[in-house]
Amino acid sequence: MTDQDTRSTQTATHSTERTGSTDGTADHVLEIRDAEVSFEMDRGVSRVMDHVDLDVHRGEIIGVVGESGSGKSMLASSMLDAVVDPGVLSGEITYYPEDGEPVDVLGLSDRKLKRLRWEEISMVFQGAMSSFNPTMGVREHFVETLEAHDDDVEAGMERARELLSDLYLEPERVLDAYPHELSGGMRQRALIALSLVLEPEVLVMDEPTAALDLLMQRSILSLLEDLREKHDLTMVFITHDLPLVAELADRIAVMYAFELIEIGPTDEILRHAAHPYTRALLNATPNLDAPLEEMRSIEGAAPDPVDVPDGCTYHPRCPLADETCVADDPDFRQVDAAHEAACFHWEDAAEAVPFTGVDVDADPQTSITEEHR
Amino acid sequence: MKRTDDDAGDDDPRTDGGTGEMFGDSEITAVTRRQRARETFDESVIAPFKVAWADWRTKVALLILGGFVATALLVWLHQAGYTLLNDALRLFGSPWELEAPRSPVGITDERRSVRPFENWQYPLGTFDNGVDILSALLWATPSMLQMVLAGGVFSTAMATAVGTVSGYKGGTVESVLNTIVDIAMSIPGLPLVVVLVAIIRPSSPYVIGVLITINVWAGLARTIHSQVLSLREQSYVEASRTMGISTPQIIRTDILPNLMPYITVNFVYAARRVVYDSIALYYLGLLGGGMAENWGVMLDWAYNLYNALTVSGKAYMLLAPMVPIVALSMALILLSQGTDRLFNPRVRTRHAGETVQEDDTDREVNPPA
Amino acid sequence: MNWYLKRTGQALFTLWAVVTVAFVLAWNVPGSLVDHMVDRIVQNSNVDPEIVRESIESRLMFDPEASLLEGYLTYVSALLEGDLGYSFVAGQDVSTTLAEAVPWTLLVMSLATLGMFAISLALGAIMAYREGSWFDIANTFVGIVTTSVPYFVAAFLLILWVGYSDAPILELFPPRGRRPPRVDPGFTVAFVWGALRHAVLPALSYLITGYGLLALSMRGNSIQTLGEDYVRVAELRGLSSRRIALRYVGRNAVLPLYTSLLLSIGFMLGSSVVLEQIFQYHGVGYWMYEAIDATDVPLMMGTFIVITVCVVIATFVADVTYSMLDPRIKSGDQGEAY
Repeated sequence: MTDQDTRSTQTATHSTERTGSTDGTADHVLEIRDAEVSFEMDRGVSRVMDHVDLDVHRGEIIGVVGESGSGKSMLASSMLDAVVDPGVLSGEITYYPEDGEPVDVLGLSDRKLKRLRWEEISMVFQGAMSSFNPTMGVREHFVETLEAHDDDVEAGMERARELLSDLYLEPERVLDAYPHELSGGMRQRALIALSLVLEPEVLVMDEPTAALDLLMQRSILSLLEDLREKHDLTMVFITHDLPLVAELADRIAVMYAFELIEIGPTDEILRHAAHPYTRALLNATPNLDAPLEEMRSIEGAAPDPVDVPDGCTYHPRCPLADETCVADDPDFRQVDAAHEAACFHWEDAAEAVPFTGVDVDADPQTSITEEHR
Repeated sequence: MKRTDDDAGDDDPRTDGGTGEMFGDSEITAVTRRQRARETFDESVIAPFKVAWADWRTKVALLILGGFVATALLVWLHQAGYTLLNDALRLFGSPWELEAPRSPVGITDERRSVRPFENWQYPLGTFDNGVDILSALLWATPSMLQMVLAGGVFSTAMATAVGTVSGYKGGTVESVLNTIVDIAMSIPGLPLVVVLVAIIRPSSPYVIGVLITINVWAGLARTIHSQVLSLREQSYVEASRTMGISTPQIIRTDILPNLMPYITVNFVYAARRVVYDSIALYYLGLLGGGMAENWGVMLDWAYNLYNALTVSGKAYMLLAPMVPIVALSMALILLSQGTDRLFNPRVRTRHAGETVQEDDTDREVNPPA
Repeated sequence: MNWYLKRTGQALFTLWAVVTVAFVLAWNVPGSLVDHMVDRIVQNSNVDPEIVRESIESRLMFDPEASLLEGYLTYVSALLEGDLGYSFVAGQDVSTTLAEAVPWTLLVMSLATLGMFAISLALGAIMAYREGSWFDIANTFVGIVTTSVPYFVAAFLLILWVGYSDAPILELFPPRGRRPPRVDPGFTVAFVWGALRHAVLPALSYLITGYGLLALSMRGNSIQTLGEDYVRVAELRGLSSRRIALRYVGRNAVLPLYTSLLLSIGFMLGSSVVLEQIFQYHGVGYWMYEAIDATDVPLMMGTFIVITVCVVIATFVADVTYSMLDPRIKSGDQGEAY
């Protein structure tokens, strides 16, 4: 435990420094400290999110990237204290409203937590179809949400209509429909509207475009950008698709094996990724300009949550790994002003894992992002 | 529906079906075919059986059913003239012997309405007409199992044929078959069977079994139909189709193995209907005559002929046939409950002692499909 | 609206098909069954067999000597006028007999269906919410055991229980007949109460043996629905647990039970032949038994048609109700139409 303790204190100091150097105002809307999610299992304790520290800046779009099973969905749920039941979330999550006292999210009473969710921090889930009750009209979903939060239904529905038309939907047609009558893209946009109807400050999105085709993904991304402008939203965009989120996000955080391993401004990450994993991830991304033979998949498999490797969790797959990596877990190291990576050898990473044919100046629009299809 | 043997199904049609079509039955194909048959058998019979056997309900069910089959065999041999059972009983000096459950000629008063456990010559007692109740109980087993077998096989075969063909063919064939299924489903079973039996007056247990399930198959056909509809969209079926493999072969190699669990459960359902309805037909006096050849006849005698419920001290006549009826019915229910998890992955994981969170991490670890 | 038209058309087509099936069966009857009936009557009285045969054949709904098409047309036109022939056993028109009997059968059936669904849905939902508790395990076990008991066995056991217990229960739930003696029919409290009391035991026979499987499926569906994303999203949206239980979990778990409802309607109407004989309850099933017993062909075919028509109508009503509860039904069959 001592190892972890020192590490987390160090990280905490780091993050204060970091924010100081970024904008000087330290205007955080969410601060996550030492957050951990664990499940009791027959095979032992499964830690599906391990000591994550993250600051979300007010008004930014932050992309959280990781492969499936890296714990990124847990991070999303944690922000609303909505980890599914036998999972236990510990640590500290603080929400800073635009005006008013900071809120200790994990210490809230049920009643106050209900107010926080959807009114302050809202969430869009992966499967839009399964997020709607199939036996209820879309309108009723909006109305019941407004009623549950003692909101003025008429004014709320007016907002809903505006949101829907901002998302290029015909409000009345969508509201009168049943979920199954809408196409996948329409449903996803209706779900985004539903999550914004109570005017939250923060919108957490867990793979919101995963089930959609490329064209629809692009159009939703640009709509999200517009929404942020209009409503001064802070967005947390969780995805496995690095190039996709790179188009949208101001900052990118990379997760591997239930931990955050690198964080920095989008451009920095794309051009000078300092963690070998991030670099490998970028290399594994298909690119129209890159010759196919230069594409690299990452060797090895993501670790089992019950049996996470000691030391740096990436060491079994890392070309730079040495005894230090096996023995100790690296803490965050400052790469650049707002760029940090949790790697002992980050300075050698660029050399050890060179970018293969990734043209960093290329328009990310041209890259094919469908790694899972 | 997610099945674990999807992978195997994915590859096989390409290798086997493809070579078989293109190069004829060379020695190599024959080997692969036999191999494949064994694999299919392993996947669709042995593996599910193992999963099912792990459940206590399946074990109890199979034990009871095994008891019925053993009894039926012995009695059947006796009926066919091989008196193994009575020879053995005599060897052990048993006062009781299996005899045909009809009223004995020259019956004496000591034989009438003997109460159970009083005279060991008639352990479970006798009816007013002197018929030994234990003999009657046993006598009914072979024909009951024959009816169940005939009904189960008929309805399952019919349902599978109609369900797969309509589901796979689509178009006019589908709508015509669906209409037939709809009509068959909306005719209530027992009245139709009553009318049919009244007209045909069958005596063979096999014919009776088939008559009882004359429209039971419809419900099963609908289930299989919708299963085939979803299977048809699976990539490996589509692959086979693009390769120009004939429809019957696709149905045989790609579709049927995946339907096996449904077919098993449906067989059990049809079997239960046969038990209920055959007893009802005998009880109503539509079948049989003069002899307690079915538990339904015993119920009829006890209730309608000898007023077992109104005359005090006679309730045993009515209770005795209930025991095998409930036992058989319970075995079938347990079997269907035990095999249920075979094709319900949700139930399967939940009951295999795995916890919910494991389910959740699974979802995380697997790439989103 | 289109869906309703289609569904109505389907129901009418089914009715036509059933009538045709009935005709085909009846057409095959005369050879064997008329002989059978003639034999029976001649045995008991010294009438000339030919006269008996003529009298029986004149009361069939068509002339057995006529051509198939002619017979069919006479039969269908008679049916359309509500004529189901004459019953020897009842001593009156089949239609009169059955029109009087149908409501009684429907009374038992609706009591059983309502009771069964109310109990199973509530029980199944509670079991799901308390998955793995003693309540859940015990009820699963009891459910499996009761489901294994055939309805007629339950009927005998109920009569046995009532017959052997103290007088008050016997008076409260009479094991024979369908209405209290010495009470004039009509919408009086005494009559309705009496009719209900007589219907209790037959309805219980269905209920006890049918609720188990239904409760177990409700349990399974609820557990599945509880794991759906939309339930989780609804919780995050701050909806009350009451609303989630009713509108989200309850509704979505109940809808798949619709097939069970259809099956149980058909099953109950069909098994009334046995059950009404046991309870000497003069409904449609009772008359079918009497018809078989006396080989009264018109009454037998009449009960067959009436029972089937009841099933078709009940199915139609259930379908329409279901379509109001599940919006997915009306807009095409979820891609099933290919």
